[in-house]
Amino acid sequence: MTTHPQMYEGIFNKSTIRFLTVLIVVALAVPLLNALDSSNPLHVSTYTMTLMGKYLCYALLAVAVDLVWGYLGILSLGHAAFFALGGYAMGMYLMRQIGDRGVYGDPLLPDFMVFLNWQELPWFWYGFDQFWFAALMIVLVPGLLAFVFGWLAFRSRVTGVYLSIITQALTYALLLAFFRNEMGFGGNNGLTDFKDILGFDLQSDATRMALYVASAIALGLGYIACRMIVTSRLGRVAVAIRDAEARTRFIGYKVENVKLFIFVVSAVLAGVAGALYVPQVGIINPSEFSPLNSIELVVWVALGGRATLYGAVVGAVAVNYAKTYLTAAMPEIWLFSLGAMFVLVTLFLPKGVMGILQRERPDNDDSDGNNLDNGNDLDNCGVKA
Amino acid sequence: MRLIEEFQHRDKVFDFMMPNTSPALDVGQGYLLYLEDISVSFDGFKAINKLNLYINEGELRCIIGPNGAGKTTMMDIITGKTRPDEGSAWFGQKINLLEMSEPEIAQAGIGRKFQKPTVFEQQTVFANLELAMTGPKGVFTTLMAKLSSSQLDHIDHVLGQIGLKQQRNLLAGALSHGQKQWLEIGMLLMQNPKLLLVDEPVAGMTHQEMDRTGELLTSLAGEHTVILVEHDMDFVRSLANQVTVLHQGSVLAEGTMDQVQSDDKVVQVYLGE
Amino acid sequence: MCTPGLMAPRGAILFPFSGSGGLQMLLRVLWVSLLLGFGLATSIARADSFEQGLEQLKSKDFSHIEQGIAAIASSGNANTELVLNLLLNGELYRLKKTDELVVVQGKQDKKLIIVNLFDDSGASAQTVSKRKIKKVRINNNIRASLKAALASLKLSAAEPEQRRQAVNQLIGKLTPELYQTLSQRLDVESDSSVQELIAVALAVTDLNSADSDSAVQQTAVATLSDSLQPAARNALAQFVETTDNAILKSQASKGLRSIDEKRKWAGHAETLFFGLSLGSVLVLAAIGLAITFGVMGVINMAHGELIMLGAYTTYVVQLLMPDNIALSILVSIPAAFLVSAFVGILIERGVIRFLYGRPLETLLATFGISLILQQAVRSIFSPLNRSVATPEFMSGVIEINPVLSLTLNRLYIIAFCLIVFALLFMLLRYTRLGIEVRAVAQNRAMARAMGVRSEWVDAMTFGLGSGIAGVAGVALSQLTNVGPNLGQAYIIDSFMVVVFGGVGNLWGTLVAGLSLGVANKIMEPWAGAVLAKILVLVFIILFIQKRPRGLFPQKGRSAEG
Repeated sequence: MTTHPQMYEGIFNKSTIRFLTVLIVVALAVPLLNALDSSNPLHVSTYTMTLMGKYLCYALLAVAVDLVWGYLGILSLGHAAFFALGGYAMGMYLMRQIGDRGVYGDPLLPDFMVFLNWQELPWFWYGFDQFWFAALMIVLVPGLLAFVFGWLAFRSRVTGVYLSIITQALTYALLLAFFRNEMGFGGNNGLTDFKDILGFDLQSDATRMALYVASAIALGLGYIACRMIVTSRLGRVAVAIRDAEARTRFIGYKVENVKLFIFVVSAVLAGVAGALYVPQVGIINPSEFSPLNSIELVVWVALGGRATLYGAVVGAVAVNYAKTYLTAAMPEIWLFSLGAMFVLVTLFLPKGVMGILQRERPDNDDSDGNNLDNGNDLDNCGVKA
Repeated sequence: MRLIEEFQHRDKVFDFMMPNTSPALDVGQGYLLYLEDISVSFDGFKAINKLNLYINEGELRCIIGPNGAGKTTMMDIITGKTRPDEGSAWFGQKINLLEMSEPEIAQAGIGRKFQKPTVFEQQTVFANLELAMTGPKGVFTTLMAKLSSSQLDHIDHVLGQIGLKQQRNLLAGALSHGQKQWLEIGMLLMQNPKLLLVDEPVAGMTHQEMDRTGELLTSLAGEHTVILVEHDMDFVRSLANQVTVLHQGSVLAEGTMDQVQSDDKVVQVYLGE
Repeated sequence: MCTPGLMAPRGAILFPFSGSGGLQMLLRVLWVSLLLGFGLATSIARADSFEQGLEQLKSKDFSHIEQGIAAIASSGNANTELVLNLLLNGELYRLKKTDELVVVQGKQDKKLIIVNLFDDSGASAQTVSKRKIKKVRINNNIRASLKAALASLKLSAAEPEQRRQAVNQLIGKLTPELYQTLSQRLDVESDSSVQELIAVALAVTDLNSADSDSAVQQTAVATLSDSLQPAARNALAQFVETTDNAILKSQASKGLRSIDEKRKWAGHAETLFFGLSLGSVLVLAAIGLAITFGVMGVINMAHGELIMLGAYTTYVVQLLMPDNIALSILVSIPAAFLVSAFVGILIERGVIRFLYGRPLETLLATFGISLILQQAVRSIFSPLNRSVATPEFMSGVIEINPVLSLTLNRLYIIAFCLIVFALLFMLLRYTRLGIEVRAVAQNRAMARAMGVRSEWVDAMTFGLGSGIAGVAGVALSQLTNVGPNLGQAYIIDSFMVVVFGGVGNLWGTLVAGLSLGVANKIMEPWAGAVLAKILVLVFIILFIQKRPRGLFPQKGRSAEG
């Protein structure tokens, strides 16, 4: 063997290029179709575009979950917390943008503070009138929480279901905390009645279009970032940790640090997704922290297929489309079908929908390669895609 | 104030400045590993009882003993998986194993092969070896790591050594039991440790596989120090000159295989009263 | 309210010879005749003061009315209470034409039907227009003296509770006559708490009256210092503010401090009690989980919904037997156990058994089941909360002293929790099933080799854990409303308790549940309920990081793995 065959997939493997192509097409097509005259049969309403923008945010969130669950084996039941924190950071900026146009017309205090008879702005609301500061916080707050939490949890080797449960407790604690009026985040009403972002009217079609495109770009960049991680040696270390944590320690990797890094990256991605989500739906309230949300997004990833990244996107879009449709058409059915989805996917689709599709293409079949003789002609079976 | 003064000593090397990886081992006394008065108990059961063990550099030492003698627990202590209740464990003269975590111990130069072969089944044979490769293993270096051609050659060399060249791109999970054992030994070779702990490497192997494993291990000794835990007496006889017998958590006898086999105490333990 | 259970020892103190029935009877007779004699004498002497008083009520002058009330109150007439109550409620009228006292009995068209006072037969009924009658007016002064008069009447009521209320109303408002009545009453009072209250009432008067000498006042301060009645503390506090006597002042403030000290301890005891009752709820909710999670290693996210099913079972059983609430609760316990155990076994056989060894998948699948169960309940019973009635024997309080009383339903919950725990503990320790469960938990392959039907054991264990969740639901239905979200509220708490206590350790679960409950209640006063809960959660998160295996970790080689 004189030349070294390609050992690992690059960042831009077939599936990534396919995914990015679809994403770019969708990102460009939808705004164009939206710009068409509303009488045109191909016209996409702004409502639909915003809805799709929302799905893109969910998809980014799902990718973040897949990064930690699929590749690192950490089943986080608290990722909605990072999403919501990013959302709150954005919401605080949007609240400050309202200025004196609120119901009470206070130039400084948001309406809910005036309503609570607060006299001055709490310290943690300072700086949020600046977009750059808010943008920094969108990354910093979820990242910092993930860092502190992960540092404590991974260092003391909390793993498996224990970790899942304490992540759930984390988001539950935040849920309770944000419900309190005293916290200064609008209590159970949350933050809403936003007017504009960076000076642009949030209700206008152009702003909505820009937010949609921004979500698509964020998803694309987030996806590429995740691909960079999972195709690097660090990604292989992560998979090693997922499959045999103790062994990884014995060959000299500080498992805690690897976990912490990937967990923080994932939390930041979730925070960004939340920040883009809030201006599109126009509200952020504590229910975003509810443990149900976190666990629901896990099923998106499970349905799409773990450790594939694009499976997470497919799962997020599919489940949310079904949710939008069912909660409107047959609200009673939605929880039944969501519950059934959990059961059926875990029982019958351990690799998700994408796993099934993959299995049907023999050239990509690397999952059960118990044929010892064909070692040479497999060229892309490095990290499982 | 004292703190500041301390910082002013130019020649002082602070702990945090010390390189974490592969420190120069001081084996001035000739011993590579000291275990002294180690005791550990689980729920009142003394798994290890006042164990003393000294391993010379370059030695291939076999540890034998009946089930429950504390062989695996001893390995756990050396690699940092289990903390002893008392005693001291030194690697060379300067490295206190009891103060280090598993990855720190691994980076300091102790490699371990488990009783049950544990390889990364979802990754290729090549990736398994790459992951084990010696070198800095921090998060960011790993993130940015690129394989140099000399590293590639090294991996290929080891692949040849363990006879898995044909399987380099196969998932490790698809290997046979014996191949997994070799892959694990190969990973130890990649790690290039000073001290190798090998736990029952030939369990469940055919005779040919056993011979091949024997060759591998002998080729390791000299360059590396090897501690081998094994049940198979023939295999042990074919390899080691020094044998230590463990019984109820402490050393029962030490010497060559013949000496040990003629020892009354050992015979008693193995054959019963 | 006072329970018979606690009355008995008090009676025993007052009647030291209560063991011998005859003597007790004799004492009772003596006491009753004493009362009768006292009443008879006064009523003869003041036979006509009642009539005079009634006449005076017809006056427009408040001072006349007041005199009239005094006369009536001291008359001893059987109708005294009736008249005073009518007055107090503003239901006594004067018919202007005949200057007779009347009461309104009803309405006809726009006119009123009135009858003469004391006319039970209704013979004097007549219909008059509103303007023809005039209400006997009272002012605040009169109202106060009316209340005092009524209170002193109630002093001889049969129920100790009524006597207690009466004395309570009199404290600080004692006229010399009432003082007399009370001190006589003190000698014959049988109920110790009423006795104490009377002593306090007298002492308050002694303390504040201008003509008491300092010796009397000193005794009064001592009496008040010993009492935990709120009135006693108030009187002392007021006295400290106003008195000029330095010695008495220091004595009183010392008494005040000792009262505050006792009240503080009573407060602590109450917090502990609330904490233990909350903890019992947590233990009940968590103990089923301790079996499925701790013994079997199965994460059952539908555990909360199994609790909910138990609560709904209670609701349904109560609908089926609405006439016998007490019995329905007793029936509910086995019913809820069976319903939840049945659903649990279905879950285990249908889903979980395919997922052994894959805890994270189990978590997801059972979460899906929890969603289905929630929605099913929502569809069947509506999303609204249902309330379950509390049986008679569980409502009420036990009053330990004036500042510490324990509610019975919480007491029952604590007892119930301990009983369930003990039964479960014995079941796991001493029965064949228990041994098999533990065998399978420790080494499945070995247990199978020994002939244990591990599949059957799995199903039974899961059924047992689920059934206990159902029983917890019965207990919860007595504390909160029953709704589809009932289970969700407890699932995280339950997991926290199990993990905090150490997985696979029933004692750990008990200690963890109780201590978390107490911790929660201790923090509540200064942190608020929500913040206390958050703090407890944060504490557990930090704790698990420090000791991942909980309070009471399982030791041994297997645990090291």
